[in-house]
Amino acid sequence: MSILEIKNLHASVDGTDILKGIDLVIEPGKVHAIMGPNGSGKSTLAYVLAGREDYEITDGDILFNGESILELAPEERAAAGLFLAFQYPVEIPGVQMTTFLKTALNAIRKEQGQEELDAIGFLKLMKSTCEKLGINEDMMKRPVNVGFSGGEKKRNEALQMAMLEPKFAVLDETDSGLDIDALKVVANGVNAMRSPERSFLVITHYQRLLDYIEPDTVHVLAQGKIMKTGGPELARELEEKGYAEFLSEAA
Amino acid sequence: MTAIADILDQIPTRKSERFKFTNLPARLKKLVLEQGTLGWSDNVDILNKTAPGADKYADTALWDLNLQNTKDYRFIDGDATIDVHAQAEKWYSPYIRIHIKKGQQATVIEKQSGDSNYWKNQVVDIVLEDGAILNHIRFQDEAADGVFTNFTHVTCAKDARYNACTLTRGEGLSRNQIHAELQGSGADATINGVKLLSGKQHADTTITIEHQAPDCTSNQFIRSVLAGESRGVFQGKVHVHQIAQKTDGYQLSNALLLSDLAEMDTKPELEIYADDVKCSHGATTGQLDEEPLFYMQARGIPRAAARMLLIQAFLAEIVDKIGDESVKPEAEQAIEEWLHAHAGA
Repeated sequence: MSILEIKNLHASVDGTDILKGIDLVIEPGKVHAIMGPNGSGKSTLAYVLAGREDYEITDGDILFNGESILELAPEERAAAGLFLAFQYPVEIPGVQMTTFLKTALNAIRKEQGQEELDAIGFLKLMKSTCEKLGINEDMMKRPVNVGFSGGEKKRNEALQMAMLEPKFAVLDETDSGLDIDALKVVANGVNAMRSPERSFLVITHYQRLLDYIEPDTVHVLAQGKIMKTGGPELARELEEKGYAEFLSEAA
Repeated sequence: MTAIADILDQIPTRKSERFKFTNLPARLKKLVLEQGTLGWSDNVDILNKTAPGADKYADTALWDLNLQNTKDYRFIDGDATIDVHAQAEKWYSPYIRIHIKKGQQATVIEKQSGDSNYWKNQVVDIVLEDGAILNHIRFQDEAADGVFTNFTHVTCAKDARYNACTLTRGEGLSRNQIHAELQGSGADATINGVKLLSGKQHADTTITIEHQAPDCTSNQFIRSVLAGESRGVFQGKVHVHQIAQKTDGYQLSNALLLSDLAEMDTKPELEIYADDVKCSHGATTGQLDEEPLFYMQARGIPRAAARMLLIQAFLAEIVDKIGDESVKPEAEQAIEEWLHAHAGA
């Protein structure tokens, strides 16, 4: 069974259609990349998968492990094993990283019928995960994303993903605003988590990230539709030729 | 014994500028109350029966009314915890005098509560000598038909520090009026508040700070969370006299509305006669941001828990400013209990 199946998905925001019939199937263990020009609906797709309320699903369905998740709240989707790495991680003044992450981890564990971690168990896991990803633990004493550099914010997303161990992760333009070192940390984080049971959807504008996270399948999203699907070579082709072909085709 | 009906004509109405948002007679008229006593000391004569600063303020009527009817006196010169619990169908005029001597430090905790319907018209008269420090924390937890009016007046001598925080929850109507006179250079008044309002609760905080000497500082930080049909009022005034050069005065009211029916009224005022001062004020009223809520939900945190985390963070800054560490856990617990009851959905 596929982890994710998107069927004829139409979504709009404030009455404007953004997604105009997306079909996509992702099998366990696979990494899919979605590339596309600005305004093609990439981020909308990421938000719709995570369950953001501002978008209206006007047609189609999203099946996660064979079941529709359209009626699920974002936290229920997270508990089911879906993770969204944000393009712009949100700053939350006054809420410490450790409090935030412990609350999230235990909420998910509880929903999944696992025992909640106590303070010591949590700190141990956090420490070892930070070490694995080469992240300075001091970051965890600060309020969520407050005063973090662009690179720190993305490392933080990678850390949260590693801690929460989702079955399926969407990376929304994780490479935007990243220097090469931070890009490697994030890519290493993803690669270390690749397994036969876990899948990824990597959304990006540029091929650069895909040099570090090698996809099995590449899709081109333009004008709210998937225009073309191919192997990793498609990403390199796009890097050379750009997206003009897909924009003119639809116009 | 004086029944409340006999003194209704002495109670300030909304025609008085500083009672614009709080209709006290309307609330008190509904109550049938007899004069009661808390069992404190009663054989005391207050020598000066005039409200301090009566010439400056047009709104000392409640102070005067207290002194005409006082049956309960407390004198405090060090650490103390005072329970002021009203019984049903009674009205009280408690008078608390706090005098902290030169260089001394004290923490005074007030716990305000009551049963059913009552009125407590309290006066707290505070004198801080040179270098004295007072941490004054008030927990307000009134009943639905309870009325609590408080008038605090504090004078700070050279380098004295008054650090007050009122945590309001419960129900009913409260009017918390505080006048601080910074009379000696280097004095500081910090008057903060956490308001957790629900149901038809009404909570009014009215502060006047008189900068009467140079190099003094004052702060007012009020954070309010309003549920149900509650109404919060904040009127803050900083009055900088001509002599009070190098004054640093700051006031800020932030309110979170959890319900469409809740209302917050704010009126910050600055009146400045000195030319070398730093004064600012601000007020915000809004709802919880959706962005952080969605981010937390996307990480698996249920929406109700995410809301609580955000509100706790909003209030934590005020709890952090409480001058006495040992009081903070009680304040945090009061906030958490209230959030569980009112901020979940």
